[in-house]
Amino acid sequence: MKNWFGVMLVMLLVGLFSSSLHAQSFGAPLSLKETTSISAILENPDSFVGKTLQVRGLVVNVCASRGCWMSIAAEKPFEQLRFKVEDGEMVFPMTARGKTATVEGVLQKFVLSKEDVIAYQTHHAQQTGESFDPATVTSGETYFQLRGLGAVIEDL
Amino acid sequence: MSFRHFNHALHRDIGYLCIGLTLIYALSGIAVNHLHDWNPNYTLEKSIATIPPSSYRGVVSEAMVLDMLRLIGERPTYENIFQPDPESLMVFVDGRVIQFHLPTGVVEYERAQRRPVWHALNYIHLNHAKKAWTWIADVYAVGLILLSLTGLALLPKGKFRVRCLVLTIVGILIPIIPLLLYY
Repeated sequence: MKNWFGVMLVMLLVGLFSSSLHAQSFGAPLSLKETTSISAILENPDSFVGKTLQVRGLVVNVCASRGCWMSIAAEKPFEQLRFKVEDGEMVFPMTARGKTATVEGVLQKFVLSKEDVIAYQTHHAQQTGESFDPATVTSGETYFQLRGLGAVIEDL
Repeated sequence: MSFRHFNHALHRDIGYLCIGLTLIYALSGIAVNHLHDWNPNYTLEKSIATIPPSSYRGVVSEAMVLDMLRLIGERPTYENIFQPDPESLMVFVDGRVIQFHLPTGVVEYERAQRRPVWHALNYIHLNHAKKAWTWIADVYAVGLILLSLTGLALLPKGKFRVRCLVLTIVGILIPIIPLLLYY
């Protein structure tokens, strides 16, 4: 009886805390076989809207307050794509910055007015602690992001 | 054993079992309620330095990255780099992010570190572990339901008092009033 209790306790602890030391999974397991280049997506984003995509790249920023998004660097310079999840659905650690992530999600398109852009950038600045001057926004913009389904971050 | 004694014993024992998680959930609840005022999971250590401004704009070569690291007294080694725009460079090294702004020469260092205790409390409360923890949290929730129901039957000296009814109604109204006002 005592042995069974011990075995169950060990299984419970393993179930609770087991995770690879080198890769941490978030959300649904990755299901796609092929990875799409972020730069290819950003080159012609409208053709990918609504599609489930897998991308891989360097995590360059993470939502500081809730861990609800990661920005992933594209293959070409100066490009990045945001991977966004509902608050609490997955929580990405700030220590993911500088690590490589493979993520899957559905590409979304947002057409923002000038006022929307100001509100969005203000919120983003609050989350990241960066400064933001609303006067720098002169027009609306179209914005693309991956609505997150699952992610694997390496070497966490 | 009478119902009163059984109920009392059940309430007391469930209370003992729930004390750890109740304190964790309550403390973490207060912490995450005030996300706008602080980051309950991480401390962000920041510092600023300056290097001579540069007129260079564009893709930074590896040699330039190493030179810039030397300029701020860092070892000429890094894990990853990223340029968000032609004027900026982010260097990821030893768990830190070093951001260079070429036109001004401003260098920002940032290191995110888990807040001792709070990160673990929030990890439990917000069920970041998922896996088997979900089931344990469910069992705890059932424990809280039993705690409240057995608490209802904890009549002072076994007799019903008006105070019991008033406090129970207040307890029910506390969540209902905000729902009527804000929902």
